[in-house]
Amino acid sequence: MTDTISHPRIRYQEKADPEFANEIAAMVGGDELLSCIQCGTCSGVCPVSPYMDYTPRQVIALTKAGLKEEVLSCKTIWLCASCYACTTACPKQIKVTDVMYALKRKAIQAGHYPKRFPIPVLANEFYRAVESSGRSSEGRLIVRLYAKTNPFGLFGKMRLGMGLLRTGRFSLKREKTANPSDVRDLLNSVEAGGK
Amino acid sequence: MYGRLNMPEPEPILNGAPKIGVYVCHCGINIASKVDVKAVVEFAATLPFVSVAKEYKFMCSDPGQDMIKEDIRAGKVNRVVVASCSPLMHEVTFRRAIKDAGENPFLFQMANIREHVSWVTSDGADATEKAKSHISAAVRRVALHDSLDRKRVEVRRDVLVVGAGIAGIQAALQIADSGKKVYLVEREPTIGGHMAQFDKTFPTLDCAACILTPKMTQVRAHPNIELLTYSEIESVDGFVGNFDVKIRRKARYVREDLCTGCDECTSVCPVHLPSEFDEGMSQRKAIYRAFPQAVPNVFTISRKGAPPCQAGCSIHQNAQGYVTLIGQGEFKEALDVILRDNPLPSICGRVCTHPCTEHCTRAKVDDPLNIPGLKRFVTDRFPDYEIPKPAKERPETVAVVGAGPAGLMCAHELRQRGFKPVIYEASSVPGGMLTLGIPAFRLPRTVIGQEIKRLEATGIEIKLNSPIGKETTLEDLRKRHAAVFLGIGAHQERKLGIEGESLPNIWGGIEFLRKVNLEGPFSIGKRVVVIGGGNSALDAARTALRCGAEKVTIAYRRTRTEMPADPEEVEDTETEGVELLLLTAPKAIQGSPEKGVTALECFKMKLGAADASGRAAPEIIPGSDFRIDCDAVIATIGQIPDIASLGDKLGLDTTRWNTFEADQTTLETNIPGVFVGGDCVTGPDVVVNAMYAGKKAAISIERYLDGKNTHAGRESEAPFVPTYSVDTSGAVFHHKVPLPSIPLTSRKSFEEVRTGYTEAMAVEEAKRCLDCGVCCDCQLCATVCEPKAIDYSMHDEIRKLEVGAIILATGFKTFDAKRIPRYGYGKYPNVYTSLEVERMVNASGPFNGEVRLKDGSAPKRVAIVHCVGSRDENTNRYCSRVCCMYSMKLAHLIQERTGAEIFNFYIDIRAAGKGYEEFYERVQQEGVQFIRGRVAEVSDWAMSPDEEGKLVVRAEDTLLGVVRRIPVDMVVLSVGMEPQADVEEVRRKFNISCGTGGFFLERHPKLGPVSTFVDGISIAGACQSPKDIPDTVAQASAAAAEAMTLIDAGFVETEPFVTWIDDQACKGCKTCIDVCPYSAIFYDDVRHVAVVNEALCRGCGLCAMECPAHIPATKQYEDRQILAELTGALR
Amino acid sequence: MAYLYYPGCSLKTGGRAYEESILAVFKALGEPLNELPDWNCCGATTYMSIDEAKAFTLAARNLALAGKSAGGPCDLVTPCAACFLTLRKAQHAIDEKPDIGRRVKEGLKKVGLPGEWQVRVRHPLDVLVNDLGVDRIAKSVKKPLSGIRVASYYGCQIVRPYESFDDPVEPRTMDQIMEALGATVVDWPLRSRCCGGSLSGTTPDVGLWLPFILLQEAKKKGADVMATACPLCQFNLECNQDQIKARYGDAAQLPVAYFTQLMGLALGLPAQDLGIQRLFVPLPKNVRETEHARA
Repeated sequence: MTDTISHPRIRYQEKADPEFANEIAAMVGGDELLSCIQCGTCSGVCPVSPYMDYTPRQVIALTKAGLKEEVLSCKTIWLCASCYACTTACPKQIKVTDVMYALKRKAIQAGHYPKRFPIPVLANEFYRAVESSGRSSEGRLIVRLYAKTNPFGLFGKMRLGMGLLRTGRFSLKREKTANPSDVRDLLNSVEAGGK
Repeated sequence: MYGRLNMPEPEPILNGAPKIGVYVCHCGINIASKVDVKAVVEFAATLPFVSVAKEYKFMCSDPGQDMIKEDIRAGKVNRVVVASCSPLMHEVTFRRAIKDAGENPFLFQMANIREHVSWVTSDGADATEKAKSHISAAVRRVALHDSLDRKRVEVRRDVLVVGAGIAGIQAALQIADSGKKVYLVEREPTIGGHMAQFDKTFPTLDCAACILTPKMTQVRAHPNIELLTYSEIESVDGFVGNFDVKIRRKARYVREDLCTGCDECTSVCPVHLPSEFDEGMSQRKAIYRAFPQAVPNVFTISRKGAPPCQAGCSIHQNAQGYVTLIGQGEFKEALDVILRDNPLPSICGRVCTHPCTEHCTRAKVDDPLNIPGLKRFVTDRFPDYEIPKPAKERPETVAVVGAGPAGLMCAHELRQRGFKPVIYEASSVPGGMLTLGIPAFRLPRTVIGQEIKRLEATGIEIKLNSPIGKETTLEDLRKRHAAVFLGIGAHQERKLGIEGESLPNIWGGIEFLRKVNLEGPFSIGKRVVVIGGGNSALDAARTALRCGAEKVTIAYRRTRTEMPADPEEVEDTETEGVELLLLTAPKAIQGSPEKGVTALECFKMKLGAADASGRAAPEIIPGSDFRIDCDAVIATIGQIPDIASLGDKLGLDTTRWNTFEADQTTLETNIPGVFVGGDCVTGPDVVVNAMYAGKKAAISIERYLDGKNTHAGRESEAPFVPTYSVDTSGAVFHHKVPLPSIPLTSRKSFEEVRTGYTEAMAVEEAKRCLDCGVCCDCQLCATVCEPKAIDYSMHDEIRKLEVGAIILATGFKTFDAKRIPRYGYGKYPNVYTSLEVERMVNASGPFNGEVRLKDGSAPKRVAIVHCVGSRDENTNRYCSRVCCMYSMKLAHLIQERTGAEIFNFYIDIRAAGKGYEEFYERVQQEGVQFIRGRVAEVSDWAMSPDEEGKLVVRAEDTLLGVVRRIPVDMVVLSVGMEPQADVEEVRRKFNISCGTGGFFLERHPKLGPVSTFVDGISIAGACQSPKDIPDTVAQASAAAAEAMTLIDAGFVETEPFVTWIDDQACKGCKTCIDVCPYSAIFYDDVRHVAVVNEALCRGCGLCAMECPAHIPATKQYEDRQILAELTGALR
Repeated sequence: MAYLYYPGCSLKTGGRAYEESILAVFKALGEPLNELPDWNCCGATTYMSIDEAKAFTLAARNLALAGKSAGGPCDLVTPCAACFLTLRKAQHAIDEKPDIGRRVKEGLKKVGLPGEWQVRVRHPLDVLVNDLGVDRIAKSVKKPLSGIRVASYYGCQIVRPYESFDDPVEPRTMDQIMEALGATVVDWPLRSRCCGGSLSGTTPDVGLWLPFILLQEAKKKGADVMATACPLCQFNLECNQDQIKARYGDAAQLPVAYFTQLMGLALGLPAQDLGIQRLFVPLPKNVRETEHARA
């Protein structure tokens, strides 16, 4: 009985989840995932790829390979700015941006994203705000975000903040719909999905 | 799961009881894995008339077939059902087996339990049940089958090959060498196809020309090949072995039998356009030969027909002709073209209302060309040009009454036809309205004078001060002359019909202009109001200014946009200081006989609904009266012919508008030999229409005097709009060159206002022409062609061919790179398509084989982008197969020519072919770089000094997992192969099908790669799918072999499933005869019944459906047989 | 037919100038916009963190409201790029994914909203060019932006990913409008490249690098001002310029205005009605002159 000796440059097949690719392909926008020919157009048009730990093409390769953990914990999916350049350029009509979203959802479900990484936090904060008041209030959101991820960063943003205040573009006012509970009620009325 | 059909078990009609053998095939596991074969066989055994039911692993194999043969020979079986694959696959096989065993091969039915059952049914039990139903159906059907015989039909020995690229050439030569006649049809003027454009060919790098052109000349020389270039398939009828094909031989306008290919014509042709052969990188002429080695070595004229300007002109003046020549600086030649149709060019160049410009295509881009301005330029440049003398002389003299444009034109046209015209002019000067109605500052008298002299010089006599009606009557003229033309114009002023109109110093426009034109300027008054909005209103106003008036006002009842006058003239008039009062209509004229006019009372108007003329009708605004103080009023509201003054209208019929009655086409009147035309028929109209009338009349008079029909075939005389379209996409925005004028200060005299174009201006303006008709019909080529090969009267001809077999080798088109904007083709000048580069590197190409950028320099770094328009769901899904290899070839050639550093961007390298992988290795050895990654974008976005001013190619290097930015001087897009644009049309003509991607569909992807589903028609080369030259040639030979096999067999056996008509039952209504698509039914006049020609019948059954008595029946598809099959299926 | 208008959260705060100018411009062109009553947040990218059906329901509520208030077919003008995309995305999901469609509609019905509607979500650029027409705009120009070189910046989400009113790589509509205003449009390759907006708050490296690229390129191609059609783009491109300068030098200092602000100026509307005063980077002199010439 030998133990698996992990090595950064070796992927043991036992780590692979053969069903993973199909799961993702079944989600909204996952349709064409399996027909990827690894041409790299997505990475080429992606404005953010230089900052990613894996290029979008590699993310798809990992997904198809079923290397679930590795994908869900990568930075790339969180860096995607959803500009859809890849989606319109892909020669196989893979909705790469939507695949990224699908992976983000998987990651959040699996509680499986880089800690103190602001984007998922923002997503959650944003959702809470909307659910409670029907509208989001940028000002409050930003403050909460920094408070949660990097409290000191807020000071760095002071000048910007002042500027926004001066030009009347920043307020901590709470935007809401006529009856804030409307939206929550609505969301509760939606039957939960299968997956 | 299957319902039961309540239908009596049909009684078999046949010789002896049927003994049906059912043979179920496992097809390895293809069928057996789903269908419980054993159960099926047991079931089959229970079916009526089944004497034998067996199973076997591969029925199609020899042992399988032997099972059937033995049972037949042993007398156990006289009808056969095989349950296996699709009949498409093995029907023939089993029929042959049955025949070998001595039974009629049509006492056989196949049940398809593979494609229809095992392959498409998931559940085994379902599959087994379905298989049973299929077999049950087949058994019941075959029980009623009749013994049928195939008919033999002779096969014609000639072959048609469509498309003369390398595939067509190869097939044609091969068949011709076997001693059969080949018709090789090519739509382009030359054969050779795409291969003729290539430089070298991969992987061996031998030059395309060296291996292709010998074959091309062989085709030309081959006694068994008839080459039909510049020809297209019109229609295809008939069937295998007996095709009737119609070919449209497009008019070349050059006689193939006479043209020697000496190339003299191109040196004089003034029309330049991009060369298709050089992919637009060089220019060709309208008369051209694709390339010097073209076969046949014959020139062709691109000629769409009369351009819009010419077609829209009443006298069909060939404007494009002289405009193009002016653009080329050939002014004398331009003048000759002008004089072909127009004897008054220097007048028309000034005062014609130029309908030509209204039709000018250039208007869709910016402004129409100033065609009259250009015409004037030429006539000014050669002031002492002459009108050609008539070629022949005739004795007859013809009287022409009126020396206006109509009369002059009529006289000219008559003179050119050899007659001696005598013009009778009432006034003391010739020219009619030209002289009396148009002021000298627009049309100098000298110009008119010279024009008249030129006409007189050709032998036209003009009698001045000779009015018709009083002294000389029409009768006198008829006695004196063979025929008479009346073009007396319309000179009588219409009245305003308002109060005070009889006061002194109130003029009609023409009345006023005539006085000035005849007697010179006189002081009409200080403040003058002109009523009207036409050109003569402007003329009157401007003349009034020149007569010393201080304030001249034009009152017009509509707005500027409705003004009939030429907008530029309106502009001139205003700049000269005339005030324009729009939406103003006269109410009354104030004044007294003593004081004369004191003011004009007016209404303000507003525009209402459109009136009969289509223009918005002006309505009076109540209570809007106002007055304009003035001491003279000029009313230019039109004239009518002065017919009253001609003694009792000369006995001619007139209309209620007081104009002459005339036949619209011939201008004949109620008096034989008397013709009328111009304003006296139409009412006041423009100069060119009067000339049109004169010309029409002249043609009628000639026909009349020759005793010919005056009406026949004159449709083309009237103005028309061309049917063809003109592509303006490439046209560069360039406004019309304004016509210079003399300074305002000198506009007080009657000096001509417009001074006309300088040479530079004229050339610039002329170059704006879009060559709508391509060939401008200047006919210069004909003047230099020694063998007299040029024939403008050529027209398309239809050629009928009778052939036995057809080979389609119609080739491909390349992908349009503009469809992928992110690669910048058409945006960045140094982004090329692979085909353009093929031409560039070609020694006989636009730059003699030099690879150069748009600025002429050689590229230092080049990117070659693979898979452009291939492997892309957004354009074409399929791989074009040749791009990888030709990209490597181009890489090699460009490097060889320039030493440039070369990057190939690929997704996967497809080098599967003899010597291909080795070539891949070779170019890598030569230092060509290969980056695995599809290019994301080509742009001029620089992020480093190195990238400034370059094309930056961005792609992920997927092998490194990083994005690479490569600045290059030149980008080559390796475009994929697509079906021809008209593939669908061609498919329909030959009744074959297209597969995915739109290419022609072969009969079987492996076993029938060059056959189609239509017997006798084969396909070869890139029209079947993208492929390289070796594969294309191989396919061509295969197709040739297929055609020869068919022909050498000498006959074809037609399917016996033809329709027959029971002549006892037929009532002879002939309905079937009209509906038969193969004209296979004819009418027997003796027995009065319809009879089927079995050789032509395809058994489609249309006649059976249309026959009111439902009599025609198709063998083996008769109701009893089909119903039996259904009963079986619904067991 | 009057246009319904969906502002979205940003146009009420950071993007106020966008709302102010767009309302003013449409009014001036004789097509006043009516704000959709009781609209809610489009949900933006929440569907990464919650059930998709819920996320799309959030967006769909606005469509249902629009359908309800119009009582028939209607166009919902949505200036914010993110909202524009999210609303359309929701519509697509509802139409193409039967399961999601069903759940969304049932959810809406439960709270008394209609489950069916005929609402076209449209971007102002689309409406201006294809409904009102460039000619109408050109005719209404009082102070042409002659000699002013504008780089039209479309951002990503208004032209992608769905078949849209303009080309996803080489969009033209904003340039057409700018030409109609008499401005000179700058032909530059990055017109639809992402500004990284959604990242500026969260990952500064990227959030500052991308706008830097855009500003630098636009400037290099000779632009006096950049025109945007998205509140996030505008914020990201303009408000961070001091930080961008701090990192990459001042190669990328360029005024960035909403295309509607430039339209407003050309149509001769008062600057304060267009939120000009809310800009961080003052408009170039020649643009401001257009504005003073009138004041």
